[in-house]
Amino acid sequence: MIARLRRMPVTWRRTTMVVVGIALLLVVLAPLTSTDAAQQAGLPLLTDKLWFRIATTVAMFVTLASAWNIIGGLTGYASFGNVAFFGLGAYGTGVLVSNLHWSFLIALLAAPLIAAIFALVVGIPLLRLRGHYFAVATLGVGVAVGEVINNVGPLGASTGLFLPIMRSDRLFFYLMIGAAGVAVLSTRLILKSRFGYGLLAIRENEEAAAVIGVNTTFYKVSAFVIAAALTGLAGGIFAQWNSFINQENVFPVTYNVEMILMAVLGGAGTLLGPVAGAIVLELIIQALAGGGSASVYSQIGLGVLLAVCVIFIPRGVIDFFGGQSRLSLSYLRRTLRETSA
Amino acid sequence: MSQFTQQVILGLLLGGVYVAVALGFSLVWGILNIVNLAHGAFVIIGAYVTWALFAHLHIDPFISLPVDAVVLFIVGYALQRGVINRVIRAPVLFTFLLTFGLNLIIVSVLLVIFTGDFRSVTPSYSGSGLQLGSVTIPYIRVAGLAVALVLAGILWLILNRTRTGAAILAVGADRDAAQLVGVDLRHAYALTFAIGAAFAGVAGGIISTFQSITPTAGDPYTLQAFAVVILGGLGRVSATVAGGLLFGLIEVLGQSAPGLGSGYANAIAFAVLVIVLVVRPQGLLGRLA
Amino acid sequence: MRGLRLAALLGSVAMGVTACGNSTTSATTNGDPIVFGAAVSLTGALSKEGGLTKQGYDLWLDWINQKGGIVVNNVKHPVQIKYEDDQSNPNLSATLAQKLITDEKAQFILGPYGSAASATDAVVAEKNGIPMVEANGAAQSIFSHGYKYTFGVLSPAFKYLTGVLDMAATLSPKPTTIAILSANDSFSVEVAAAIAEVAPTKGMKVVFNKKYPAAAPDVSGLISQAKAANPDIVMNSGHLAEAIAINKAAKQLSLDAKIFAYSVGPSTPDFIKALGADADYVYDGSQWTPQVKYVPSFYLSVADYTKAYEQKYASSDPPDYHVAESTAACLAFQKAIENAGSVDPAKVRDALAKLDVMTFFGQIKFDDRGINIYKPMVVEQIQKGVHYTVYPPDVANGKPQYPAPPWSSR
Repeated sequence: MIARLRRMPVTWRRTTMVVVGIALLLVVLAPLTSTDAAQQAGLPLLTDKLWFRIATTVAMFVTLASAWNIIGGLTGYASFGNVAFFGLGAYGTGVLVSNLHWSFLIALLAAPLIAAIFALVVGIPLLRLRGHYFAVATLGVGVAVGEVINNVGPLGASTGLFLPIMRSDRLFFYLMIGAAGVAVLSTRLILKSRFGYGLLAIRENEEAAAVIGVNTTFYKVSAFVIAAALTGLAGGIFAQWNSFINQENVFPVTYNVEMILMAVLGGAGTLLGPVAGAIVLELIIQALAGGGSASVYSQIGLGVLLAVCVIFIPRGVIDFFGGQSRLSLSYLRRTLRETSA
Repeated sequence: MSQFTQQVILGLLLGGVYVAVALGFSLVWGILNIVNLAHGAFVIIGAYVTWALFAHLHIDPFISLPVDAVVLFIVGYALQRGVINRVIRAPVLFTFLLTFGLNLIIVSVLLVIFTGDFRSVTPSYSGSGLQLGSVTIPYIRVAGLAVALVLAGILWLILNRTRTGAAILAVGADRDAAQLVGVDLRHAYALTFAIGAAFAGVAGGIISTFQSITPTAGDPYTLQAFAVVILGGLGRVSATVAGGLLFGLIEVLGQSAPGLGSGYANAIAFAVLVIVLVVRPQGLLGRLA
Repeated sequence: MRGLRLAALLGSVAMGVTACGNSTTSATTNGDPIVFGAAVSLTGALSKEGGLTKQGYDLWLDWINQKGGIVVNNVKHPVQIKYEDDQSNPNLSATLAQKLITDEKAQFILGPYGSAASATDAVVAEKNGIPMVEANGAAQSIFSHGYKYTFGVLSPAFKYLTGVLDMAATLSPKPTTIAILSANDSFSVEVAAAIAEVAPTKGMKVVFNKKYPAAAPDVSGLISQAKAANPDIVMNSGHLAEAIAINKAAKQLSLDAKIFAYSVGPSTPDFIKALGADADYVYDGSQWTPQVKYVPSFYLSVADYTKAYEQKYASSDPPDYHVAESTAACLAFQKAIENAGSVDPAKVRDALAKLDVMTFFGQIKFDDRGINIYKPMVVEQIQKGVHYTVYPPDVANGKPQYPAPPWSSR
């Protein structure tokens, strides 16, 4: 992405930068208008509790998709079990707050730690597998961890854990935005580093990477651990934000699919692709979520939209809007020709 | 001891269902390199066809199995030819996402047509079983296992004894070479996918005899099919049979595993899966790619 | 002449009285609408139960608006219910509850279906200071965290199958051994724990007690294990799909118990449709049946309620208890708003806490946790394809058929 930005015409690059900058500024400053002081000063109220909730959810998925991108997009190991890290992070923080009465912000530090340690332990054997096999193994780990926790008494078993309610929506919003920021920043640092080149080399050809001196096991496991830590962090924030966690809440198999969907639709392996994918897809999901009794048709709509996106834009939204290719009939025809039988 | 025998028999009978579900999934994955997330939805379409014929025309569920196969064959052929063929050369994850979308569409359409009511197929003989000492073997489940094994036999025959099968295997081995020797790729893809779907439909017919059917009831079966194929190994009919039977055994015996609560059954099943993968990535009977 | 004047006087007094009466009972209908919000599952795995929940809410909605609305200080306020579909996903449910409150301006929240969604929605209600009355999350765990704004009209999980034990103790020959199969979710585990706790006090023994992962498609392995323990009573705390599967497997493996009792499932028409004659002799603990004999202080009588349901949904089956308890949640809100004389959320919350009314569904009254522990549950049995209420005797319209004959002789 960065490389592509450089290749883009200067005007394009500037426009993109300015738009992204303004968007970020708005996102960060908007919540401030909801403070009492701002309201007394008569500033327009840009935010409400629903906005906070949706924006926090979007930021959470930005974190999840970006974290997945590090192992799935950059390293080429499509993990289907990242939800295990999310759940472990949530339960790590949850147990410390709910059972041991730690303060939330201290307990939050445990979330990425627990997820990272777990990733280290399972990563060493799992990352010997490739392709579908790695995918299924991680899927199995994700399901198994959730099932085990559902049976462990001190973790609330099937009743789940209840955390004391914290009312500040702003806190969770900024924490999630922070987590998303850390995820994107980590990706950027990785992309610019020797480590990142190593990961890309593994993705393109693992044997060749080993030949040119990349310690593939160390690189792969490190990428897995970093992805796990970021995912666990999001899980820890979620636990306190939602104040109730159980297997259904924090180990949903659908999250695995959603984070991959976001990263891939946005553009796997790029810096901002997963971010764009997460924002766009989660907003669509949220917009379609309501709708009372007609909602079944919006689900059909979501499925169709997905199919159309995959068929016509197989290189991801970022590639589509990234300047190299334009929205044109010839673009659609070319991608169809390249990918269809 | 007889208790253990009983558990083993029930495990194998459940395994038969998994075999039926996984055969088509394995074929599509092995030949087309498509991990079909809509596979469970195909299974449930088959179950609904059987249910509809049973509820409205009083047709025995085992007699309607060929109808399930035909309906799903058509659905599968149309979907592959019309939709999935368009991304068959894109990276694997894209077909994966596409089938995720298809699953969403199918489940929603089923909900519109059949509502969320629980449907069930209960022929008069569904409750009887063969009594051998203290061991009971339910007839209808034995029939399910038998159908699964027959399906496996049919698939083996198709693949190894027919021109179509030869074409399918050729496509799986090397698509470009297959095209050079005159295989119509689009048709071969669609045919493979259609056969996979037809097998899923028959599996759905079997499932409708012991489980109640709702539009979302197929989702767990996609996951099970995944596990069975990995356990047995990709690319061989016999491997899928072994994987399915084994997975059924693990699930049932897991419920009575000493020292652990029966709530751990799923955890045990997936832990075994992960261990097999790590120790023997090609599956128990699979060939290394 | 004099008599005439008197008559005129009497007449005018009478008219005055009726006029007065009119002004109190039929308040003006110009109030602002009162908006309720409900995030129920209309798609996904719980769409059936979510649909029943919505039916219950809508039944009351029709009735209250026909009457002109909820009376607050002599002003009638028409009622709206805004629905959102949570797709059977509890995480989405919380966002939708917030959407209902913020976007749709819902003043009160009617609960979703299921204990997990109820727990997440309770947190949202609490954070926003909006009262929520839920009718479909019986797990008690939701209510033990000091939440002030969440109330449940239904009897808690504890009571689901203990009524069957009460009944079993009165039968002869008295059943003494129990096998429990429970789904591994919060509600079902609480139901199972209650059975294990109460059984010894009735002189019964739990000889088999195992959990299965929620939504397990095949339970025959567990049934064969249970059979080895040779129980008099087989109990399932779980859901409709598993209740059907357990009954089928029990027949296939000829597990001949004297009593089959399932927490959720047999009360729905689907259970009988799915199993036909095999559904006979099955008991369930029910929140409500069309046979209960409560005399309500407002809203419809039990018979009229059943009639209204059959009419509105063109159904030949009477409403099952999921529908009735959902309607009851609306009734709790209606009475509390009337008592509070205000739609202020805090005042309505206080009125809910003090509420004590008799409805067609039974008594609605909450303990300090917000649970309606005051309403009893009843025991139903399916006999020849029809539901009969068989316990407690004062509301029963049938006698328990006991013991269930062995499968081979049915």
